[in-house]
Amino acid sequence: MLKVMIVDNDLERTKPLKQSLLDTGYDVIAHLKDTVNLDDACCELQPDIVIIDTDSPSRDTLENICVMTMNDPRPIMMFTHDGDKEQIKLATQAGVCAYVVGSIPNERLQPVIDAAIARFEEFKNLRVALNEANTKLSERKLVERAKGLIMKQRKIDEDEAYNLLRSMAMQKHMRIGALSKQIIEAAELLL
Amino acid sequence: MNTNDTALNLEVKPTVDNSRRDFFRTTMAGAFGAAAVMGIVPKGISTNAYAAGSDAPEITEVKIGFIPLTDCAPIVVAAEMGFDKKYGIKITPSKEASWAAIRDKTVNGELHAAHVLYGLVYGVQLGIGGQQKDMAVLMTLNHNGQGITLANQLKDKGVKDGHSLKRLLDNENRDYTFAQTFPTGTHAMWLNYWLAANGINPIKDVKTIVVPPPQMVANMRIGNMDGYCVGEPWNARAIYDKVGYTVATSQDIWVDHPEKVLGTTAEFVAKNPNTSRAMIMAILDACRYIEATENRAKVAKLISGKAYVNAPEEVIAGRFVGDYDNGIGKKWKDPNFMKFFEDGKVNFPYLSDGMWFLTQHKRWGLLKSDPDYLAVAKKINQVQLYTEAATQLGISVPKDVMRSSKLMDGVVWDGKNPAAYAASFKIKA
Repeated sequence: MLKVMIVDNDLERTKPLKQSLLDTGYDVIAHLKDTVNLDDACCELQPDIVIIDTDSPSRDTLENICVMTMNDPRPIMMFTHDGDKEQIKLATQAGVCAYVVGSIPNERLQPVIDAAIARFEEFKNLRVALNEANTKLSERKLVERAKGLIMKQRKIDEDEAYNLLRSMAMQKHMRIGALSKQIIEAAELLL
Repeated sequence: MNTNDTALNLEVKPTVDNSRRDFFRTTMAGAFGAAAVMGIVPKGISTNAYAAGSDAPEITEVKIGFIPLTDCAPIVVAAEMGFDKKYGIKITPSKEASWAAIRDKTVNGELHAAHVLYGLVYGVQLGIGGQQKDMAVLMTLNHNGQGITLANQLKDKGVKDGHSLKRLLDNENRDYTFAQTFPTGTHAMWLNYWLAANGINPIKDVKTIVVPPPQMVANMRIGNMDGYCVGEPWNARAIYDKVGYTVATSQDIWVDHPEKVLGTTAEFVAKNPNTSRAMIMAILDACRYIEATENRAKVAKLISGKAYVNAPEEVIAGRFVGDYDNGIGKKWKDPNFMKFFEDGKVNFPYLSDGMWFLTQHKRWGLLKSDPDYLAVAKKINQVQLYTEAATQLGISVPKDVMRSSKLMDGVVWDGKNPAAYAASFKIKA
């Protein structure tokens, strides 16, 4: 059962949402005000999904938790009481998992949450792919620089420098990018 | 209608069929848009546009988001005192509850621009903790005027500076909690830099949480954290409310450090270069007004209102003119108080300022690998557009896009070798 946390200053206002979630079979582990203890609550209760008011000042607190736990982020769903449809569409495109406006009927809650989680997963996968691509790109740059340093130091040509770098990496059981980084750092200190 | 369309329509003959016309419009507008993003305005075209009088703002009503802080003053003054009208636009300030809301609304276009943390803009550009979006910094809004507050209980334990805090942390076996305002923002970086310069690892030795600026004091009062880093007036407010004291100002960490910027998306700038320029001009004019000592009291009164900072005028006014009191017996006149103009030196979007935040993001593990520091800064900071705006106002523009500063630990940052600089710190994530 998914654990849901609701954050809203006005607990009365989100009571129906809480009831709907319970009826739909979610475990509402916390229904908090914009509070001070949000940080601890998140750490201790480990919600699977957080539902928060778009205009809540506590959004930055959640943001920090997300960044700090970059390897283990969780979906955040927002609700708003006065948003118009166009704005919600834009916000969703901007990366927010899902927006709920006002109260939504029980039968629609499940699909909305499912969609939010699906979007979140999709986004997470994209990020992983992007990070991998960035790492590869920066590794290639490092290798180029290290190669240049070796060429200059040893007065050898590019192919020889690359072969040297590769065999050193193999000997040291290191990735060629990581070795290049070490060489560059060493060169910065020594040269 | 934007300039690109105007310029192109003149060239398209009425006999050209629509599909061809559309082709021209989209491809050429795209090419010009890309040029604008890179800060390049084709010479002939911009001159023609001016001559034809088509430097009129593409949109005349702009909504600019802000967070209740003393340094939101340029936005408020530009709107409230009519600086916006001088440049053909109407600015509507929009008070927001969180930096996350500022970011989302700027990214999705609900806000046209915002008073925003320098580092946040760069974080969005690199997709830290959220969706990537190409961003733009139009100008810097202020230098200095942030601070680090400690709870009064620490005073009783003899903490009066970074060294004594380090000693306390070494000798006491409990978790100390510090708050800042946004993971990629400026306060996170000032707090981390200050702790690290005092031998405290902000990642390993203390717990860090985020609390919205206006709620800092209330949170400290109930013992939720031992210290925080935030913009004024929320450090002065802790002293006023007798819950904490100022252990360091941000200008102690870096004299004339970059702080808030006028931020928007690259897309907005590409589509609305004239509106963007008009916003810079209006706000630059407002910054010049605020800088004058004789105007500061009036501005403090204006921004203290409920619609803006919502804090007693007296809490804002003192530090706003450099009258500092640290709350534990030291009073001084700080020459490096919150600056908004200094003949445009504050406002120029130095590339080295933007790059610094990236070096700290790398240092603290928010970036896993070195980005192309200079390329990112060149893309975000709208030096060309700013230069056009400043020149029209007769405000001088520095020749060099880099500046050199010595921070509290004696280390110099000048924008050169950013990767080596980022890797040079002993204390890091």
